Amino acid sequence: MSANSLKFGLAAALAILSAPIASAQDALSPDEMAALCHGGGSICVSATIPVSRTTQAVQSWMSPDVGAAWAAGYKGKGVTITMVDDFSSTSRFSGNFGIGVQTQRHGEWTREEASMIAPSATIRSKDFSTGSYVPLAGGLNVLNLSYGMYTTAGYSVNQIGWAPEEASIISYATKGSAIVSKAAGNDAVAVGAAINGQQDYLDLALIGKSTAIFAGALSTNGTTTNKAQLAWYSDYAGSNTQVQSHFLVVGVEGDKTGLYGTSFAAPIISGYAAIIGSKFTKATPVQITNDLLNTARTDTLANYDPSIYGKGEASLSRALAPVAIH
Amino acid sequence: MRERSNIRGGLCTAALLSCTLLCASTAAAQEWTTSLVDVHQGSPLSDRARGLGNGGYELQSGSWVSFTRWYHANWVDMHIDLLTQITPDTGILWGFGTGEQAEKYRIEPSFKLGFLTQIHPNPNSTLSLSVTSVIGGNLTEKPCEADYGDLGTYSVNCRLAAGETAPEETLKYLVSAKPETMHLWLNYRLTF
Repeated sequence: MSANSLKFGLAAALAILSAPIASAQDALSPDEMAALCHGGGSICVSATIPVSRTTQAVQSWMSPDVGAAWAAGYKGKGVTITMVDDFSSTSRFSGNFGIGVQTQRHGEWTREEASMIAPSATIRSKDFSTGSYVPLAGGLNVLNLSYGMYTTAGYSVNQIGWAPEEASIISYATKGSAIVSKAAGNDAVAVGAAINGQQDYLDLALIGKSTAIFAGALSTNGTTTNKAQLAWYSDYAGSNTQVQSHFLVVGVEGDKTGLYGTSFAAPIISGYAAIIGSKFTKATPVQITNDLLNTARTDTLANYDPSIYGKGEASLSRALAPVAIH
Repeated sequence: MRERSNIRGGLCTAALLSCTLLCASTAAAQEWTTSLVDVHQGSPLSDRARGLGNGGYELQSGSWVSFTRWYHANWVDMHIDLLTQITPDTGILWGFGTGEQAEKYRIEPSFKLGFLTQIHPNPNSTLSLSVTSVIGGNLTEKPCEADYGDLGTYSVNCRLAAGETAPEETLKYLVSAKPETMHLWLNYRLTF
């Protein structure tokens, strides 16, 4: 590879990380939210999302941990989750998060999922096709990346000429100014590995960054009596200890929702981070990232191995609990 | 046949004490006898404190923290009530409670003071009135120190430390309760 730098052609390089089982369907008409997301600004506030049906309900696809942790109190209040995703294409597919079958764009699905995990969080939508800079909101910020940036394998990360969008995201993860929840990928390879001559350079760029979390998918939510396994499609942590130490897994129960892929793991991590941030209002993104990573469970996973599961299955209740109390 | 009515009201403590002292002074010259009226353990506040011990949660390590150890008292608040008779129809009701405490709550010792008086509207009937006031006996829940690792150490409500509520917010839900401070009792007895 001789090029000194590589500018991503966004139309070709953006790859949403829902597994192939989630079938794309043609859109009938753009919804109101999508219309707001078009144009140069590309940040859309979720005020127009009809979320009333989705709030405050624990769904069967969620970890039992969520139900256990949801008590009276905050559920992401004061935290902003920015979903960097597809909010403008004509590609839509069907699924059901427990509130009825819907046909939506990829970003609308991931946004809905995050809002169901952290119903009090402010959810913003950033259409990734614009490539424009991602601004942060006041307070704690969580960025959800349920997509990858693929191109020919063999470049080094510093050869990539990032668009302002990814450059800002990578910068936030490097400086620790926002938590970045990144879908690990659906090629059943180690994070950062090439597949069919292609590589996710966004994964590579986030390795070793203090507030980056790679989200892998389990086929079910794990319990100590019914241990979970990595979903067949999910990328795994691999042998790189920098990835292992920032890799979490969560259940993506596609058999209940019709939605598969690590695209739907990342919003769960984003929602957890928002809930933790709403409890520890003075905590930094680095502290919250470490809290999630350090409290992950390994006893709910079948044959736990850090090269597969990284730090383990994210546990909201343990992340909220004290280390010690007296 | 007996009819009874209880009225629990909010008469002020000062008025009650004045009345009690007045009754006592007018009868000072007489021989007073004191009788044990009641001995019992427990109270609504004891029950409430014991109820705080239900439940628990896991720490980050997964080890279980049961609330029982924080809210189990080895001694249950004991109340002793006495009646010092001043005249055939008047007496001073008084007594005390020992209080109780566990690691994370305390019920203060209490002192009860009041009077009992009765009249006979006719030979077959008696109308009794007693008023008592309790000083002390408050239930106070104590906070815990919770270590959240990198996220800091906070003073928290022990029972809510693992929930979603911000640590400092949990302190709002510490139990602080007073016993029934004034008890007015009216009794009418008709014998036939």
